[in-house]
Formats: sequence, structure tokens, C-alpha cells
Amino acid sequence: MKAVGARLPRYDGIGHVTGRTMYVDDVKAPGLLQAKALRSPHHHASIVRLDTSKAEKLRGVRAVITHKDVPRNVVGLLEPQGVPADEPQLASDVVRYRGQPVAAVAAEDVETAMEALNLIDVEYEERPALFDIRLAFEPDAPQPHEWGTVYPHFGSHNHRRVRKGDIAWAFERADVIVSGVYRPQAIEHVPMETQASLAVPEPDGRLTIYSCTQAMYFSLSIVATHLQLPMNRIKLIGGTVGGGFGGKVDSASETIASLLALKSQRPVKWRWTREEEFLVSSTRAAWHIELSDAVTSDGWILGRRMTTLHDSGAYARMSPYGLTKHAFHHTGAYTIPNLKFDGFVVFTNRVPTTAMRGFGVTSVSMATETHMTRTAEILGLDPWEIRLKNANRIGDTTGNLVVMQDPSTVPVTLAAADRVGLELASEYREMTSDRRTADLLPDHLVAQQAPEGAHVLSRESTVDGGGR
Amino acid sequence: MELTVNGAPRATASSPVTPLLTVLREEFNITGAKPGCEQGGCGACTVLVDGEPRRSCLLAIGMIGDAEITTVEGLGTPQELAPIQATFNDRYAAQCGYCTSGMLMAGQALLNRSESPVTRDQVLEALSGHVCRCTGYVKIVDAVIAASVGEFDNAETDERLTPQDNEPEVQIRGSAA
Repeated sequence: MKAVGARLPRYDGIGHVTGRTMYVDDVKAPGLLQAKALRSPHHHASIVRLDTSKAEKLRGVRAVITHKDVPRNVVGLLEPQGVPADEPQLASDVVRYRGQPVAAVAAEDVETAMEALNLIDVEYEERPALFDIRLAFEPDAPQPHEWGTVYPHFGSHNHRRVRKGDIAWAFERADVIVSGVYRPQAIEHVPMETQASLAVPEPDGRLTIYSCTQAMYFSLSIVATHLQLPMNRIKLIGGTVGGGFGGKVDSASETIASLLALKSQRPVKWRWTREEEFLVSSTRAAWHIELSDAVTSDGWILGRRMTTLHDSGAYARMSPYGLTKHAFHHTGAYTIPNLKFDGFVVFTNRVPTTAMRGFGVTSVSMATETHMTRTAEILGLDPWEIRLKNANRIGDTTGNLVVMQDPSTVPVTLAAADRVGLELASEYREMTSDRRTADLLPDHLVAQQAPEGAHVLSRESTVDGGGR
Repeated sequence: MELTVNGAPRATASSPVTPLLTVLREEFNITGAKPGCEQGGCGACTVLVDGEPRRSCLLAIGMIGDAEITTVEGLGTPQELAPIQATFNDRYAAQCGYCTSGMLMAGQALLNRSESPVTRDQVLEALSGHVCRCTGYVKIVDAVIAASVGEFDNAETDERLTPQDNEPEVQIRGSAA
């Protein structure tokens, strides 16, 4: 245990401070070509005509690719986890967000590649677009996705559900019902290094890819699936990421660089501009969260009803997974005996959204923690005390059936209070994570204990929806 | 045209309107300065021109004349770090590293023109045009101040690092539940 408590230098520190660290854009390859993508100017449109012949003839252009050049065009980032494939690498008959790639060019220099893009002839027929997730359930809402406005594959449901206890009883029994709507916005990751890949076709037929990916093996699998190549034909070099924050798990640039490299048989670099990074790269999802808590006047939360809409953008990517995490964290660090949660992954004609720092969880934490404080204010209680009262304790069961073995809510909350010099009443200061005892339980919670006294604080709980 | 980069004359065939960043990276293969936004907004491409911090993405090489260009590669080497490089390393001021070159150059320019020690306000002013999206600003500012007074604490750090010695002192037995 030499590392614990020691000040260890960063393994990459010297490289960073001397400018020697090699990011993708620092890699050189002989005969390097530059790539540019033709992107949809429309939020939602049918592609009526796509003709690249003029671009192909431009001097200095070495490869032009469209959907026809992708061995397997439609791939899902979470296919192995049960999320069906829905997103084409290059759009074929329809574009579902502005900036979606339709074709790509590799040329001797960036200027030639840009000129070639202007020579690609695309005719679009615009379709109505959906931007506001709150309008997704209107009968005449635009349909951004082939599956409609809502991701339909949570097992037998079109949304993620959590059911625990008797929610109707909780809301009947409540002294006060506190309701709120919380709407965390979309956020662009803005890594200092934009999305970048460099693909090198090796003389033996293999492919070497330098990538800024945050997820090497994940990207390897995605590229191999698109290219329909066995993984041992691809060497992925990465691990040096100029900032990612979740935005570099989508394998956004590897496949197109690889296809262009294979077609031109030259090394191809595709580095996005800052403008592309802002306008086209994935963002954190926007969310719409409606939350109602059934509470007693002394601050016990009896039940929580919550409906979440997660803006997935134009394709599913990892949103079903993000929403599932959101669902499992919707009680926060607290034990709430009766729950009814419904979460929808909603499609819009915005850029597809993805992971960002606490995928799915930061949004729900913002909502639930704000709500806790509001509840305390409405009840005239101390916001620290209402948290300690409802804090997870050993033996409590979460909404998704996890029995708490070592919850940290109480010690962490007490330590935080201590750090800010807060004087808590002794009954709170002396709280621990130990199993709830009768004197810590109001009558209604005692009544909800399992018959064997297992302190599960729930009569039953179900989490519906297979897959992710 | 000829440019002087890190003390050495370099001939370039690029047109005078080419950004210095492009010439450094693509022509000279000096890649420490980074293309962050390529519109002067982020500071990742900052180099020194006659000691003054400049955005190399917006600086046409025709404007430089015979001024001395210094990039991060001209500060120090891995074996012999400049003070500001040493304090950035010791104090964990580099996270992803992509903004680091620009931060170092702006910090070095401040040290060059200021009396030691520099104040926090001076550092904030000097680095105000630089974005670190890992948001490690506090450590970056601390490192510049430490460099101005030569406060290195790498001795202890290096002592405790034994990168070749992979034998754990404590064998972990059993498995997670």
C-alpha cells in the first residue's frame, strides 16, 4: 500500500509540462490526407438525391464516402447491452439533426477537402422537427425517430419504471405534498482538444487508428462493427485525451477516418473544428423532471412520485443507460418507502446526447437535493435535519432492490456539517448508519417493516423493463 | 522567410499570412502549442514572441520579422525542467494537459516581467484569457506563484515513487463480496 496517502507524481505530468505528450493531432504520418464531413443543414429532412461524382473528380481529392461505403452503416453504441441499433454512420435516406454527417471527403489538404464538400450535390425535403421534449406526447408531434418520439425498448414498456410500496397510501397519509419541476439544460463538454482520429492503412491490410477516445475497447468494437472487420485487424492507439468529460465515449470520429483511409489507402486525419465541436458533437441531455413528495409535518418522506423526460436527441446512443442510472438514483441518498417513477427517453431533432460527468445522475441529484431543501423550507425544518432523518441506513432497501450494506449518507452529512461549523441538535449529531430501531422509526415506517423485522422498509418493489 | 524558434533559425515556405501555429505544428513539427479554438479564444496555442505571450493561431508569420519565438519546448527538457514546469508538475497543475503549454507560456511571461513573488491577482490577470476545461485553475495559479519564489516540493514526491518496484508491501487476500 505505497500509494495510499502518498503524493505520487502523475505518470504523464512531465510530458504535459514539456509539451511532449502526443495527442492525436500531434501524430504525423507520411502521405497524410485531411478529412472533412458534409453535414446536414437541416434539423430533419429526407434525402432525395445524393451525388458525389463532381467532388470525386476534383484534383487533390483521394476518397469520397457515403452510406454506401460503410459495410455496416447502422450500429448502436449499446447493442451488446440490448439497445437496438438505430444510428447510421453516414445518413442514407433521412437526416435527423442539423450537422449529421451525410458524406465525407479525404483530400491532400483541408482547403481541397472543403472545396470538394461544395461539389457534393444533395437535395433535401424538409420534415417537421421536434425540439421540446414536453411536446413529445402531443398526438400531432413531429416524429424525430423511426421509433417515434419515445425510446420503446425497456422490456415490455416504453419507459423505465420503478414501483415500490404503496404510493397511493403515502399520498393519502401525507400531511403535506411538495411538488416541483426541475429542468437541467443541455451542456456542451467543450474539451480543449476537439474530436480527432487518424487512421493509417498498414501494408499488411491492417488498420492503425490514433484516437482521442475515452473508451479504447469500446471504440475498437464500434469501429470493427461498422467496418465488419475482426478486431485483430485493427490496432487502436489512444489513452491520451485532451479533455473528454464523457463527450469522447461516442466514437465520433474513428469510423469515418478509417473508411476514408481504407478507400484512399492513405493515412487520413479527421480533426473537428471548434465550431463542429460546439454545434455537432454530443452534449449532456436536457431533462424535464416532475417531482412530488408526500411528507409528514415532522419531515419524514413517505413517498415520491417522479416523471422524467430525458432528451436523447436524434438517436438512442447511451441514453437508455443514462436514464436507467437516473431511475436508480431518484431517491438520492435517502430511503423513501413508497415510490412511483416513470422515465422516458425522448427523441428530438437535436444533436444526440451522451454521457457527461455523472451520466444521468447529476440531473436527478440537482432535482432531488433542491427539492429536499424546498421541502424543509415549506415545513419550517432544518434542511440538514430532514436529510439526516431520511438518510439511508444499513438494511434499508433502495428502489431497485439493493439492500444497503454500508451507506455513507449519515457520516458524510455529519462530516460536512462539522466542516462548515454547523451546530446540530444532539439527536442528529449522534446519528449513525446503524439499522433503524423502533425509536428512529415513526409509526408509519414501523408498519412498513418486513414481517421478519428485516428493516427493508418496503412491502414490495419492482423494477420493470429489460435491456437498457 | 526565416523565423527564430527556441533560439534556432528555421526556414519556412509558407505564405506570410499563414498562422504561426500552423507553421510550428505542420511545417516545423513543433507541436507543444495546441489548436484549441483557432480563433484566439482559449489560449492553448500561446507562445512567446520577444517575451510577450501571443496567440499563435491568430499571428500571421509575416508579422513576426526577426523576433524571437519561444514555445514550451524552449522552456526546459524532461531532464531539466524550467522552474515553472517543475512547479506545474509537482503541484498537479496539468490534468488533461491540453491547455498546459499555453498556461506555462503566459505564466512564464509574467515571471519574466515581474518582481518575485508574483501576487495572485497578477497571475489571474496574466492567465485570464486561458481556458482549462478540466477547471484546474487553483492549482495552476498556485504553481505560477510557487515558481516565482522557487518553491519546489518534488523531492518528497520522487522519494516515495517507486515506479520500477511493483511489489506491493501488503498482499491483498480474498475477494470482493
